[in-house]
Amino acid sequence: MIKGYAGRILRVDLAAQSFAFEPLDEETARLYIGGKGYGTRLLYDLTEPGIDPLGPANPLIFATGPLNGSVAPQSNRFAVVCKSPLTGGIGNATCGGSYAYGMKRAGIDFLIVNGRSERPVRIEVAGDQDEVRFIDAADLWGKGSYETQRILGKKMSHAVIGPAGENMVLYAGIVSNERIAARTGVGAVMGSKRLKAISVSGSRKLEMDDPESFKKYTKEVRELFSKHPVLGSSMKRYGTGAIVNTANGRNIIPTRNFKYGHFPDAMKLSGEYMEDHELVGVKSSCLHCPVTCGREVEVEGIGRVKGPEYETLALMGSNLEIPDLKRVNEWNYQADDLGMDTISLGASLSFAMELQERGMLDAGIQFGDPAGVSELIDDIAHRRGLGDDLADGTKRMSEKFGGQEFAMHVKGLELSAYDPRGSFAQGVEYATTNRGGCHVQGGSMYMESVGPLTINPQNLKLKADIPVLMQNTACAINSMVLCIFTSYGMFPAAIHAMSPNSLPYKIMTTLFENSGPMMRLAMGMKGRPMLWWEKWLTYITGQTFSSGHLQEIGARIFNLERMYNLREGLSGADDTLPQRMLNESIFPHMKSGHPLGELLPRYYRNRGWDSNGVPTKKTLARLQVRV
Amino acid sequence: MSISVELTYDMGKALGEQRIEFESAKSVKDLMQLVREIFLERGEDFEGLSRLAAIAVNGVLVNHRIGMKTPLADGDTVVFVKAAAGG
Repeated sequence: MIKGYAGRILRVDLAAQSFAFEPLDEETARLYIGGKGYGTRLLYDLTEPGIDPLGPANPLIFATGPLNGSVAPQSNRFAVVCKSPLTGGIGNATCGGSYAYGMKRAGIDFLIVNGRSERPVRIEVAGDQDEVRFIDAADLWGKGSYETQRILGKKMSHAVIGPAGENMVLYAGIVSNERIAARTGVGAVMGSKRLKAISVSGSRKLEMDDPESFKKYTKEVRELFSKHPVLGSSMKRYGTGAIVNTANGRNIIPTRNFKYGHFPDAMKLSGEYMEDHELVGVKSSCLHCPVTCGREVEVEGIGRVKGPEYETLALMGSNLEIPDLKRVNEWNYQADDLGMDTISLGASLSFAMELQERGMLDAGIQFGDPAGVSELIDDIAHRRGLGDDLADGTKRMSEKFGGQEFAMHVKGLELSAYDPRGSFAQGVEYATTNRGGCHVQGGSMYMESVGPLTINPQNLKLKADIPVLMQNTACAINSMVLCIFTSYGMFPAAIHAMSPNSLPYKIMTTLFENSGPMMRLAMGMKGRPMLWWEKWLTYITGQTFSSGHLQEIGARIFNLERMYNLREGLSGADDTLPQRMLNESIFPHMKSGHPLGELLPRYYRNRGWDSNGVPTKKTLARLQVRV
Repeated sequence: MSISVELTYDMGKALGEQRIEFESAKSVKDLMQLVREIFLERGEDFEGLSRLAAIAVNGVLVNHRIGMKTPLADGDTVVFVKAAAGG
C-alpha cells in the first residue's frame, strides 16, 4: 500500500445495520489522490444515473487524503461527496475540525454510508477493534449541532447534523467541532438517511515514506507561515473578515441581493471592526493549524462562540443591508447550530427580501431591517411556513414565485460573496465550477480583485486561463485534503510589501496579465516538488508531486466531475450566471454585466472541451478519465 | 453632490477620519492633494499608512485606468484599498 493511506474503505449499510471493510484501490489513489477526487470516482462508479439525491441509493462518502492524520498545518480537513439535492449534480464540501484526524486514527480512508435507517441512528466506529456500532439516536434527533457534540463527548471525533439536516433543508451541512461542510446540501443527504452523527476513534498512526524529511520541512513551513503577512498576520488578527473592506472598495461585496457592489456601512462588518469591538478571543478551530483564522465572539444568552467568516459577514450583512455585527454574530451561531450553509441561507433571505420589495411575496422581512430574520432562519431549519420554501434555495423559490433574473445562483448553488461584474475570472469560475456558484473550488478573485498582486479584473486577458489553473489546484488541494487557505501563502512577503502604486508593481502585473501562453505551458510542466503541499505529498507517499503533476490530477478530477454532471442531465447551458450579473451594470464605465459569452468559448478550449462544453474523447484519454 | 473618500480602517483609526466629503476635484491627483492637506500635521502617518493601499474610483483601481490623472465627477466614491485574503 502507498504510504499516507490507512489502506481501507469502510462501507456501512444503514438499512441492514451492517458494515464491511475493503481495501483501498492503489491505482485510483495514484490517479485521484483521495478526498474529493477519489470520492468522486467512487460516486461515479457506485451509482446509477438519475438517482434521487435524497433517496437511499445516494451514497454519502466521507473522504480523507494522504495529508490527513499528519501534523502538517491546515491538514485537518475531510471531504464529503454525494449527489447534491440542491443542484442535481455533483455534491461536495470540505470541513475542518478534528474529524479527519479521527478517521485516519481509526484506520479509514473513506467511509461510504449507504441506505436509509428506519429510525434516527448514529454510528460509532472503533477503528482499533474494527467495529461499527449502530446506536438509536432518537434522544439526539431535533438537537442542535453544538448540543449534539456536547452530549457525544470528547473521547471520539464527530461529524453531526442539526435540525436543518434532519429536515432536509437543501443547503444543510455537516458539522465537526465549530466547522461545517456547508455547501451543496450534504447535510440534507445525511438527514435523508436518518443518520444524526458519526463518531470515530482509534490509535493508528500515519505511515510516511520519509518521516524525517517531512518533520524537518514541516518545521520550516511553520516558521514560514508565522512570518507570512496573510497566514501569520492578517488571518490571525482579523480572520477572513479582513476581506470585507477590500471587497467593498473594489465594488464586489454583495449588497441588497447583489444589486450593488458597495455598501457604505461595510466597515462595521469588517474583521478589523470585529477585532476592536466584538472579539473576545482568537482560536484555531482546526487541529494542528497555526493560522487561527477562527474568531471568538460573545453572543448574548449563549456565551463565547465562533464568529462569522467573510462569506457570512457579506451574505448576511451587506447583502441584507444590515450593518449590525452583533446580529450577524447571532445569525451565524444560529445557522451553525441548526447546521446550514450561511451562503445559501443569506442569498435565500435576500431573494425573499427582494420579492417582498417587488410585491411578489409577503415574506415579512425587508432590506435593512433585522426584524423577523432570526425567526425565519429557525422556520427554514424546521421547514415551517414560508421557511419551507426558503429551505429549497433560490432556484426553486424563483420557479415558484418568479424573479429568476435576480435569483443569485449557478446550477442551483447560491453565489459566494464576490460580485463577478468586478471580477471577470471569478465569474467564469462561478459559471463553470461543477458544484455551482462557489469560490473555494478555485478562488480566481484572489488573482484579480483582492490579493496582493492583482491584474485588471475587467478585461478579457487571462480570464479564461486563471479559472482553469485555480480550479485544478483546488481539486488537488481538496483531495489531499488540505485547507484551500494554504494557497494564500504562495505570494511571498516581498510581494505583499510592494506598494500597488509603484512602478515595479505595475511592471509585474502587466507581465502577469500578458502571460497567457506561458501560463498554459508552465501548468503542464512536471518537475520537482516546490510548494509545501507538493513536498508534503512527496515525503508522505514516496511519489513525486510537482505543480505539473497536480495540475494534471486536478484536471482529471474536474473532468470526472464534469462527466458526472453531464451524466445526471446538466449541460453547457448550465454554465451561466444569474441574469442580473449578465445584464445589469454596477460600474459607470460598463454598459452591461459580465462578458461571459466572450469568455466561455475560450474557457472550453483551454479545458479541451467541445463547443457544447463536453470534454472531448482526446481530453478524457489524455487525463485517463474512465467513463 | 460631492466626492466621497473612504480611508482604510487602519488609516481611519490612526488619523481620526474614516470618510471625508469634498465638494469637487478634477482628478485623483487633485483629490489626493486635498486629502494630504487635511492630514498635513500627520503627513508621515498618512504616507506610511497609504503606501500599501491602492486607490479605487467607484471600485476600479486607478492603476487600471489612467493612474492619478483619472478624472473625477460629482458622486464618485474614491476608496483606499488594501490587499486581503479571505474565503
